[in-house]
Amino acid sequence: MRLELREITKQFPGVLANDRISIAADRGKVLGLLGENGAGKTTLMNILSGLYRPDSGEILIDGQAREFRDPSEAIGAGIGMVHQHFMLVPVFDVVESVALGAEPVTGAVRTFDRVTARKRVVELSTQYGLDVNPDARIEDLPVGVRQRVEILKALYRKSDILVLDEPSAVLTPGETEELFGIIRGLAAGGTTVIFITHKLNEVLEVADTITVLRRGRVAGTVLPSQTSREELANLMVGRDVELTVARGPSHPKDVVLELRDVFVRNDRGEMAVKGASLEVRAGEIVAVAGVQGNGQTELVEAITGLRHLDAGHIKIGGALVDEAKPRKVADLGVAHIPEDRMRDGLVKAMTVSENYILDSYHRSPYSSGGRFDRDAIAREAQKGVQEFDIRTPSIETHVGSLSGGNQQKVIVAREFSRPVRLVVASQPTRGLDVGSIEYIHKRIIEQRDAGAAILIVSTELDEVLALGDRVAVMFSGQIVGVLPSEQATKEAVGMLMGGVH
Amino acid sequence: MTAAAAPVNVATPVASEAERRAHRSARIRGIVIAALGVIAFGLAVNTLGGDVTFKFWLQQQGKAFAQVDTSPGELWILTGLATGFTGLWQLWRGAAVRWRLWLVLWLPFWVVATMGTLLDRQTAVLTNLFSSTLEYAFPISMGAFAALISERSGMFDIAVEGQMLVGAAAASIAGSMALQWLGPDAGAIAGPVIGPAAAALSGMGIGLLMAWLAIRYHVDQIISGTVVNFGALGLTNFLYLRVLQTYTDYNTPPTIEKIQIPLLADIPVLGPIFFQGTPYMYIGWVVMLVLTYFIFRTRWGLRLRASGEYPQAAATVGINVIRIRYRAMILAGAIAGFAGSYLSLHSAGSFQMNMSAGKGWIAIAAMIFGAWNPIGAFGAALVFGFADAAQQLLSELGVTIPPQFLASVPYLLTVVVVAGVVGRVRGPAQAGQPYEQG
Repeated sequence: MRLELREITKQFPGVLANDRISIAADRGKVLGLLGENGAGKTTLMNILSGLYRPDSGEILIDGQAREFRDPSEAIGAGIGMVHQHFMLVPVFDVVESVALGAEPVTGAVRTFDRVTARKRVVELSTQYGLDVNPDARIEDLPVGVRQRVEILKALYRKSDILVLDEPSAVLTPGETEELFGIIRGLAAGGTTVIFITHKLNEVLEVADTITVLRRGRVAGTVLPSQTSREELANLMVGRDVELTVARGPSHPKDVVLELRDVFVRNDRGEMAVKGASLEVRAGEIVAVAGVQGNGQTELVEAITGLRHLDAGHIKIGGALVDEAKPRKVADLGVAHIPEDRMRDGLVKAMTVSENYILDSYHRSPYSSGGRFDRDAIAREAQKGVQEFDIRTPSIETHVGSLSGGNQQKVIVAREFSRPVRLVVASQPTRGLDVGSIEYIHKRIIEQRDAGAAILIVSTELDEVLALGDRVAVMFSGQIVGVLPSEQATKEAVGMLMGGVH
Repeated sequence: MTAAAAPVNVATPVASEAERRAHRSARIRGIVIAALGVIAFGLAVNTLGGDVTFKFWLQQQGKAFAQVDTSPGELWILTGLATGFTGLWQLWRGAAVRWRLWLVLWLPFWVVATMGTLLDRQTAVLTNLFSSTLEYAFPISMGAFAALISERSGMFDIAVEGQMLVGAAAASIAGSMALQWLGPDAGAIAGPVIGPAAAALSGMGIGLLMAWLAIRYHVDQIISGTVVNFGALGLTNFLYLRVLQTYTDYNTPPTIEKIQIPLLADIPVLGPIFFQGTPYMYIGWVVMLVLTYFIFRTRWGLRLRASGEYPQAAATVGINVIRIRYRAMILAGAIAGFAGSYLSLHSAGSFQMNMSAGKGWIAIAAMIFGAWNPIGAFGAALVFGFADAAQQLLSELGVTIPPQFLASVPYLLTVVVVAGVVGRVRGPAQAGQPYEQG
């Protein structure tokens, strides 16, 4: 079916999220919807899926204006959503998850007819080549398979229009390729696909047309054959962007971080890091690639003193830190940019200046004799805000109200405000727009050139390849390979990430 | 989120280290259990001289008994054997033993032997003990059902206690009114229906209030529940002291009597335990079975669980999470209120201050102990009911332990039980988290 959105406008308090947005996707075609965070993609899709109602504008399906008051009406009109954060109940099995909301029932008390539902799921997965065990529990499935379950959910509801919101964010390169195969197959079968992403390569690879959103408006609609990454980035940000930050050759010196047979458990008590060994030298960037959940999180937490080490040794600058507390680690000159910035990086309800001193509030010049020196704090925070180009109304603004990119800059400014010997950055640009990515990458390379050892952990292959002087790949709790940057191709790293040696 | 368990040869020291730990704790467990066995034998030596009689009703009217004469010493010897065997078995088989299941083998012996020792030279009618266990378990299990329905939907019904208390008062007043206005004949028939119905309605009202505060205003449900509980206590105390004590006619409801199920009630031993109770007991069984089926087999249950585990996921497939949560809270309130009517209409025959006496809280413990599952919660309620019944039996027989200590046993048990299962069972992921519809 042909889907068209005309002049959609949605105003939130203080933000015009969608400003007269018009997009169109033909039957059997893939529309790539490209935009930074905050460009209005998600709002637009929430309108399309019936979660929000637009202030003005209309949704047309095959030329007919439709109005959705709630998600079930959008589903009824044939629109299927695959959300960025999977909408699957972890303790349900595949059949229950797929059927939820559209359950076949029998009898007066509406007993869930599992047999019928299971049959449908098996039929669909054979028909579309979506290989899934219908009786597996969702929480036991890898993310790639969970995504197939999400797609099955849409197909089960006979969706003719499939919307995929950032579908590759959690996938390995191999799984992403597989997903593209599925998308092409669905489109060939007549499904209209809307593919939302901020990754330039992906739209270029899979979309038939690309619409770029910027600050709630359509910045342009282009054909993949007639555009380039640079043009798309320009449309997204509104200026030219260095997609891969230039960096000179590295000059590795002494070993700063040394991991020897490190074993770490995750929150559930299972061994997440199983004998990882790695060295990071001063003046080089080691980028750790790997699919989410292969022990990177736990490894970083162990290095920064946030997690107990089960076995093995960690040395920073020659000092053994197996039992060290986070403050001890920080005192050794470790700057930590944590994976989850809202949980581990910032206190949302505190101001920019308070967050800025969060790791050194207890020492001069910020405090003496147990009392804060407010002037010194304000002076230093102001300096950090200027130096790191943090866009905030004032240093007394709550960090929670800043954009993701500016929040990340607050963390970077704080961490780099101390003498830095080692930088441990986990997903340093997750969820950031191309402009902020460029900025953060430049700052990290500056630190390297100033002689710090850098350990980057990222699930974004592009980031790993752009920054790593050496690329280490983590799989199933182990470092399965370390490649110098010239050997670290997408294919080579991707294979290792998927567990192929 | 974890990636698939990969078929990589995981470094061996990990596995063996985990094994070593399990092995070590299994050995410690074995030694401790075996030592307990030895202690039981030691107790046997001290109590061999005493004697105790356990009786079972065969037929209540004819006063026929089956009787077991034994001595505490003999009971302790059996206990020692069972415990010692378990300990040795654990030592021999190591980590392979599923020791929590084996608790069932030796722990009851300790309970029986302890009771036997306390009852020294007395006669206990065990049939009564078991039937009152079932009776006492009723309000606890119903309270647990109420709590688990609300938690399965993603809410916290901390107000079970208050709902029971208000239910007890409402049942007594409504039942008394029926008796007053309809006369003794019609009232005696209508009262036992109107009373519990009023109790259920009052519970539903509180449930609705809780749901409204939590969903509309995002009030923390622990706080609103605590407020409701104290409010219920204050309100019913006031009602009792200022109204019901003066107008006692309005606190003399028709009581709900035990009924005998024809034929089944005459079965020896089982009849007096299972088939001579109040209607409440049978209702409890029915609710347990119906609820189990509904939660795990029907569309309603699937959607209820989805809104408790991941409301956003439910909403995106067009399920009205808010409505499900309101309905669940109202249903939970009805069940908890109804359970309260048992307190005032059952044996007491009137409402008293703070009648619920913590049963609503124990019900929440039973829900956790029972892993948010109706059958499990019922089993947990039986444990608490047994503690109540045993305490009753011992105090009736004039056993010389301070009554305060006996009365505290169910609460101590709660602490042990909840501490023992926390972390091992997992409740609905989003219980108590407010959900905002887009």
